[in-house]
Parts: sequence; C-alpha cells; structure tokens
Amino acid sequence: MLKRLLKYATAAQLVASVIAPSAAAQLRVVTSTTDLADIATQVGGSKVTVRHIGEGFQDPHFIEAKPSFVLQLRSADVWAFVGLDLEAGWMPLLLNGARNRKINQGGSGYLDVSRAIPLLDIPRGNVDRSQGDVHALGNPHYWLDPANGRRIARLFQRKFAELDPGNSAAYAANSSAFEAKLSAAERGWEPQLTLLRGKPVVAYHTSWRYLANYTKINIVGFMEPKPGVPPSPSHLAGLIQTIKRTGAKVIIIEPFYDRKTADFVASKTGIKVLVLPPSVGGARGVNDYIALMRSDIQKLAQAIQ
Amino acid sequence: MRGFIFLCVSCLIAPAALYSQVPQPRTARDSLARADSTARADSIALVRELEGIQPQPDTAGRTRQQTSTNTRLLPDVSVVGDMIADLSPDGSTQEGEARLGIREVEVAIQAAVDPYFRGDVFLGVSDEEGISIEQAFLTTTALPFSVEARLGRFLMPFGKQNQLHRHDLHTIEHSYVVQDFFSPEGLKGTGVTVSKVLAPLGFYQELQLSLVDRIGERDGSLISPEPPNRDLGGLGYAARLRNYFDLSQAANLEIGASALTSEREQPLLTAIPDNGDPAIEINAYNQRQSVIAADVTYRWRPLQQGIYQSLILQGEVMQQRNPEVTIPENLGPTGNRVGAYAYGRYQMTRRTFVGARYDFVEGAAGNDTNTTAGSGYIEFFPSEFSKLVAGYERLKRGGDNALNRFILQAAFSLGPHKPHPF
Repeated sequence: MLKRLLKYATAAQLVASVIAPSAAAQLRVVTSTTDLADIATQVGGSKVTVRHIGEGFQDPHFIEAKPSFVLQLRSADVWAFVGLDLEAGWMPLLLNGARNRKINQGGSGYLDVSRAIPLLDIPRGNVDRSQGDVHALGNPHYWLDPANGRRIARLFQRKFAELDPGNSAAYAANSSAFEAKLSAAERGWEPQLTLLRGKPVVAYHTSWRYLANYTKINIVGFMEPKPGVPPSPSHLAGLIQTIKRTGAKVIIIEPFYDRKTADFVASKTGIKVLVLPPSVGGARGVNDYIALMRSDIQKLAQAIQ
Repeated sequence: MRGFIFLCVSCLIAPAALYSQVPQPRTARDSLARADSTARADSIALVRELEGIQPQPDTAGRTRQQTSTNTRLLPDVSVVGDMIADLSPDGSTQEGEARLGIREVEVAIQAAVDPYFRGDVFLGVSDEEGISIEQAFLTTTALPFSVEARLGRFLMPFGKQNQLHRHDLHTIEHSYVVQDFFSPEGLKGTGVTVSKVLAPLGFYQELQLSLVDRIGERDGSLISPEPPNRDLGGLGYAARLRNYFDLSQAANLEIGASALTSEREQPLLTAIPDNGDPAIEINAYNQRQSVIAADVTYRWRPLQQGIYQSLILQGEVMQQRNPEVTIPENLGPTGNRVGAYAYGRYQMTRRTFVGARYDFVEGAAGNDTNTTAGSGYIEFFPSEFSKLVAGYERLKRGGDNALNRFILQAAFSLGPHKPHPF
C-alpha cells in the first residue's frame, strides 16, 4: 500500500515538474496599486498577466485584506508594491495568507518598488507617532512624477527579464516604448507646466509632494494638520489665514476624502476645491499612467488659470 | 502507522528545505545589487538637489538604504495597553472588583526565525495573573502546497470571534458564549494547527485542523484520577472550515463551521481520597466535551469613501455537547446547551463607530440558569493606534436580578504599524 502511494506521489511530482514551466510562460504579476499595474502591463505586454489589489479611487492606506486577494497572490510570480509602509495595514495579512514563497520577502518575485526611487520627505531625527501617521522611510506617493514612472518601468523590465530571460528583449523594447510615449506626452503638457510653476496651492494630504516637485507648484499648506490626522478647527483657522496671505487658488483633494471641510475653507476664502485622481482609475477616463499624469496636470492648470 | 506519518511529514518539509538551499541565480543577485546602488545614488542626488545641501559624508550617507535596514536583526517589539473603568451602579463587575484598572498589558515580540519559520511571542501582564504566556508559536513559511503549520500556544482557530485578541475586539469583552464555554480571554491551545487554503469551487476556503494538549486552560483546583490527556483520545482535536465570498467590491460574506472535542475535568460535589495516594483528594472526573459552532459575518465598506463608512453584521452559534451524566455527585454540565450572539457595528464618521450585541447562553442546569445580555457601544479612534470605548450592558444571569453595567475602555498600541484585523 505504502509503495503504491509513493509511486503515485512520484508520478504526481513528475507531472507537476513537466507542467510548471509551461504554466510559467506568462508571468503572473499582482500589484498593490493600479499605477504599478498599468506600468507593469506596459512593460510586460502579452508576456504577463497583471492584476491589482487596490482601486484608483480607494485610499491605499486602508485597503481591506480580503481573502479573495489571497487567491490572486497564491499563484503570483511577482508581487510589486509601493513600499515605505503604504501597505503596512493590509499587506502582511495577504502575504502570510497566500503562502507563496516566491512573493514573500527574500523571494524572487518580491518587488518593493520604492527601492528604485529617490524619495522625498525622509524624516530626520527622531520619528514618533506624535507626528501623525508619518512614513518613517519617506513619502510613498512617488508615482506622481514621470521620472519615477520611468524608474518603475525600468525596474519592472529588469525584474521580468530576470524571471523570464527568454523574453528580455521584448521587455526592454516595451519599456523603451513606454518611456518614449511618456516623453512625447510630457512635451504635450509643457505649456501647462510653465503656467503652474511657483503657483501656491493647498493639498489635503501629503500625496501630492512628488507632483508638486515635478510641476514646481508650491504647496503652502495641508488640510491635515499632520499626516493622517483629520483637520481640526484651529488648524483650519490657521490654514484660512495662510490661503489669504499666499493667494493660493486651489485645494487639491483625493476622491476618497470627504470634501466637506475643503468646501468650508473654500466658502471662507474663495479658493477652488479640485478633486484629482491620485491613481489610474481614480476618475472617469483616467485609464493609464500617462492619462493620469496628463489629467492631473491639465485639471490643475485649468483650475489655477 | 508511525512510519507513514514520519514519511508524510518528511515529504512536506524536505522539498521546502531543498528549494530554499538552491542558490539564487547570479543574474538575480546582480540585478538586486544594481537596483540598490541605483536607488542610493538617485536618492542622494535628489536630496542634494532639492534641499540645496553640500555633499557631506554624514548627510549623504544617511540615506533610506541605511535607515530602513534592521542591521541588528532585532525583532519587532510592540506593546498594547488595555485599561478599563467600571462605573456599574451595583459595584464593579471586573476581576478583582477594581473600578479603575489595567486589564492587561500585552507585549508582542515577532520576527522571522529563519527561512523556514516565523516566531511570535505574546506576553500578557496583569495585576491578577502577573506575567503569562498568552501566545508563543512558530509558523512555517516554507511548506509546499499552500499548507501552513503553527506550533506552540495560540488562539484556537475555532469560531470567528475567538481568533481576535481581546483588545482587538469591537466590543469590550468577548461574547458570553465564548466566555462561558471557554474563558473571558477566549480559547487558547498548546499544540499544532495545520491549515490549507483551498479554492476548488472558485471561492476562498480555508481548512484548519488542530491538535492541542487540552481544550481550555487547566483549572489547578480540579484533580481527577488521571490527566484527561493520558490517552491520545483525550487530547483536544479541532477543525474549522472558513468560506469567503465577495458579494460585490464593497460587500462580502464569510461563513464558517467549527468543531472540537476533548476530555475535560468536571468537578465533583465531594472529594474522595485517591486510591494510590490517600493524601491526594480526587475532586473531579474526566468527561468528554465537544463543541460545534457556525458563524456568519457580513461586511460592507464602500471602496471610495470606505474610511468614513462601514458596516459589520456578525452572528455565531455554538452547541456544547456533554454526555448525560449519571454520577450523582456531578457538578459539571450534563446534556447539551446552546449559546449564541448577534452583533452589529456601523461606522458613523472617520473615527466614530457604534455597535450593539445580543447574547444568549443556555444554562448548564435548566432554564433558570440561562444568561441573556443586550449591550451597546460607542467607539472613538483618535488614530489607528488608540481607541476609547464607552459601553452599556444589561445582563441577566440565571435567576439573579438584571445587572446594569457601564464600562469605559481605553486602549493603545506602541511600536510598528500592525495589519488591521479582517
């Protein structure tokens, strides 16, 4: 009986080893955000299948670790995430639940995208929770700068080529094509960038620091007194004075925040409230990374004009 | 049989060990190294450019690559403080009858042990119990076929609510069915639990099988003629099947079924001398006890404004199964009894939640010992790391007069950001 069982087990292992390489012909990529998913799709083309956990109109800090996501991750070859603790509230549960060695820390498919990114807002000195929900390793909203979009694409290209060397030429070509498209798009929105340079704005959360760095807009204040802390009356009073003093014309707010407090500040100052998608899929028609950057820059320029 | 079990375990562990010993391809190592050095160079250049600082060894060297690396391989250490104020009009209903007290401070130490295991230790500190090992377990990270094993002491995968630490509950205390059937802190076990994620029908299923030394904590005052776990049949055996369905992007449903069985000591009315050693008095006897349970949880949380609104509806029913006891001096439960709760929690604002629960537990000795309770809560979360709760409960236990309980709770956590329980 035991011998027969061993025979079956050996046969099953042989079948699995024969099947595995052909099943791996298309890399299965899962990303934490839609932005990473879109860039992975651009680079991977038909050689990869890409799925994402969060939606573009969803706060990436507070995604629920639903078991259905575990099923996606269970068979993934690559798990790409923003990092810098953006996903700290849910990613460990999903990775532990998936039990997939490839995508756990140290696995070949564990891809912390932030490792390829030059970061802003790296705290200096002591960091503690009295500073709010501060990201101790740096600001994680880095995809809102095309230079970082390119870095992400190159990172995906290297990772895909490493895992699937047979298609490395295709990944390199796709990555170059993506960068060329992005460069062409950037030339298209240069007039808007000129218009935005130095303009004072207010942001709800620190999500827009990289966009500000790229567009050279000047964020003069945040609706949140500290990252992740809802606005308090005293903070809003100070912010209203700041807006009046600097002449800021726009409050940028993500679609997942309640705009009531922003509307209140607008009613006191005449400032416009602009809901901008922070990610691909965050607004109608914003279906890819380049469309996201174009949409945000154009809407911002229109609002500030 | 033993040989076959050994062979199965070897087959499970050996491929994982062999796989992890295969050196990573040179290209992978080079690629990672390149990514690191590129990132470091980029970070330094950008920080200098943005902040207009001159290159100085100290400043340039303090990059994210260094600050984010745990070079000393220290484990994550976190602390949870759980404080209670009992303002009930008829006196405190807390352990030790304290009006104001620290219910527990829990210290968690967690880290990867090696490429094969993760280690978690939770120490509980309280005035009543001193320092105790709440949980301490190894979790495998390298078993094939989506199998995970956990060895040590852990919250038993039984029912829904039982798997949450008490301070992570949405209510101040466990439901009465969990408290009465197991303990105020839920059911823990020391042993091994093995789980496998399945999806043969296209939705998430997880099967969890546990073998533990005993079900429930040992009551040191009960002495039976022999330990309940003397025979392998007396150990604790438990199983749970968890089924999860997405109803939409915003709503989901979880249905679980659990069962456990073991021998447990049950008290006797009068003690009798032990046959072997007359100095020892036997005051308990061993009796099989089983519990079966079903739970259902509905969750709703809109994706876009989900930080402001959410709803949880949860219900759990358990049946404790005890044999009809003919021993006249028996003080333990006899026959079957049922317990259940229904619970709802609605998020009103970003930081404020309200909830209500109804409890029912059938008494061990007839209708006049039933427990019923209705309670309401309001929770306020200043941040993800602290919460303040105010609760009112009307509790009726057996033939006693109904008791009104007013309880306030403040809890906080220090240390790394933990995942939000789901």
